Amino acid sequence: MKIKLDNVSFSYNEEKVISNLNLEIESSSITAIIGHNGSGKSTLAKLIVGLLEPKKGTIYLDDQVLNEDSIKIFRNKMGIIFQNPDNQFVGVTVKDDIAFGLENKNIEREEMIQKIHKYLKLVGMEEYIEESPENLSGGQKQRVAIAGALSMECELLILDESTSMLDPLGTKEVGETIKKIKNEDNKTIIIITHDLEEARLADRVIVLNKGKIVKDGTPKEVFSDENILINSGLKTMDSVKIINDLKNVDYKNKKEIEAALWELTFKM
Amino acid sequence: MNDIALGQYVHKNSIIHSLDPRTKFICLLILMISIFLIPSPADYNPKISFIILGGFALIILIVVILTKISPLKYLKSLMQVIFIVSFVFIVQMLSKPSDETSLLDLNIKVSIIKIIIILTVFVLFFVFRKFLHYKLILFITLLVLSTYFLTIDFGKNLFKETPILHIYKYGLYKGAFFSLRILLVIMLSTVMTLTTKPTDLTNAIEWLLHPLTFIKLNVSIFAMMISLALRFIPTLFNEANKILKSQASRGADFKEGHLKDQIFQMVALLIPMFVVSYKRAEDLADAMEARGYIPGERRTKLNILRFKFSDYLTFILCVGIITGIILLRVL
Ligand SMILES: Nc1ncnc2c1ncn2[C@@H]1O[C@H](COP(=O)(O)OP(=O)(O)OP(=O)(O)O)[C@@H](O)[C@H]1O
Ligand SMILES: [Mg+2]
Repeated sequence: MKIKLDNVSFSYNEEKVISNLNLEIESSSITAIIGHNGSGKSTLAKLIVGLLEPKKGTIYLDDQVLNEDSIKIFRNKMGIIFQNPDNQFVGVTVKDDIAFGLENKNIEREEMIQKIHKYLKLVGMEEYIEESPENLSGGQKQRVAIAGALSMECELLILDESTSMLDPLGTKEVGETIKKIKNEDNKTIIIITHDLEEARLADRVIVLNKGKIVKDGTPKEVFSDENILINSGLKTMDSVKIINDLKNVDYKNKKEIEAALWELTFKM
Repeated sequence: MNDIALGQYVHKNSIIHSLDPRTKFICLLILMISIFLIPSPADYNPKISFIILGGFALIILIVVILTKISPLKYLKSLMQVIFIVSFVFIVQMLSKPSDETSLLDLNIKVSIIKIIIILTVFVLFFVFRKFLHYKLILFITLLVLSTYFLTIDFGKNLFKETPILHIYKYGLYKGAFFSLRILLVIMLSTVMTLTTKPTDLTNAIEWLLHPLTFIKLNVSIFAMMISLALRFIPTLFNEANKILKSQASRGADFKEGHLKDQIFQMVALLIPMFVVSYKRAEDLADAMEARGYIPGERRTKLNILRFKFSDYLTFILCVGIITGIILLRVL
């Protein structure tokens, strides 16, 4: 799904949370949106999926204006996973929670059961299928939320800090799954995070600061711009710091070392 | 606070578990009504009243065994009502049924020394109750002993006329009958909550309320509301516990202190609870909308209900029981 924001502004009260934002996201891509707490990342995500309405400007999905009428068509094509896994667990059990979205989509029962198993297996939660949310850890609830969103097989998937509670292996697995579905099914994926490590698997990284885009480029371009990252309240990566420091010293194998460090940075 | 009956489902492979939730719901209602229709021993042959009650107890016992769930679970839910039941028992026991001579007269002789002793014992009990086991049994024993202590001669009587506490035979019957009746009803509903998944329960309620669609009421929204309540009540209880603990760690104690302090602490609990719930509700509404939920719209269902042979059989049995009771009352 192609996304275009044309001069979009939004505010909850008086203060602008998103101000005059222009942004285009191509279909079949992974975009990472990074920014400090309160920079407006979640708000932007909610605007794109139509949970919030822009105060000013227009949002286009697949070249069609997003409004109260068109949202009905787009609703089933977009999935979003929120920050707090507890507040989006609708079902009384894991199985019922995955089923919730599928039921809304009017999927037939047999297909539904098949999908529930398929996606729970994908996130490694199949053995918890009958469990109630009270008995799950935060990370396990996030896995269920991810399975629930994936099971909808949407064209656009937004992950709003939805891997924050996962262990390293879980984060890696989810990353691989995301890459796989992007390549195989031409999905558009937006990853929201303030962790640069998670942004590594993106094709493009956008830095948000106080509701404005302050940097937009490939992960390599964004990561090497230390000033922007620091000014936006983000932590630079250790390896990138070394790469930047390397620029100030004379060393004959500088080029090779830099290349090797970049390679290591993106190796997961 | 952790042990609330809702969502206490225990997974077991039993006949009772496999019954359709609608059957369980309807049969629960039928059996509850039947238990309340058993004639009271005060206006019927007490023997027959108790035999019928015993019959119900036997049926419920068989059902409990069939569920394969540990009896401790049932005991736990009975313990929650034990105070109410004791209260009912005492009130009934002391009430005077139509002109009858009393079974036992307790001449209450009050003296200062007695009052001091009894008060001391109870104060000691309350001071040390944190360290005591079997508090309830101990408390009841103390109550009975102090009642007995009041009837013996000890110290100088305060009143000229000794008040008499009458215990009547029929009062005793009634007390036993009413308390047993409550316990049986609690047992029945515990069977229901322990063996039925919350989702099945909401589906059953939705089905039972289906006739209301004729008066243009949207039952599916109502069922969704029950389902969300079932989902979030345990979470909110956990939340309350967390807040209580964090306040306790800052020195607040809900169980002690003056009434004023307790009220203040309740407010201190309610405000964060309200804020948390509100935030939760907002997030939940967003999540539900994002996942394509449109209230009242047609949706497919993962859990579908089907009546089986065993359901019809259970149903017929329950109808048989209530018919029997009604006939007994009419004839
Ligand atoms: N429902 C709301 N009502 C009022 N103000 C809000 C609401 N939600 C967010 N805000 C405000 O909008 C701003 C942006 O919030 P947003 O949740 O979009 O930030 P974020 O980038 O997702 O931050 P985080 O990294 O903490 O998730 C914040 O200043 C926040 O206080
Ligand atoms: Mg956020």
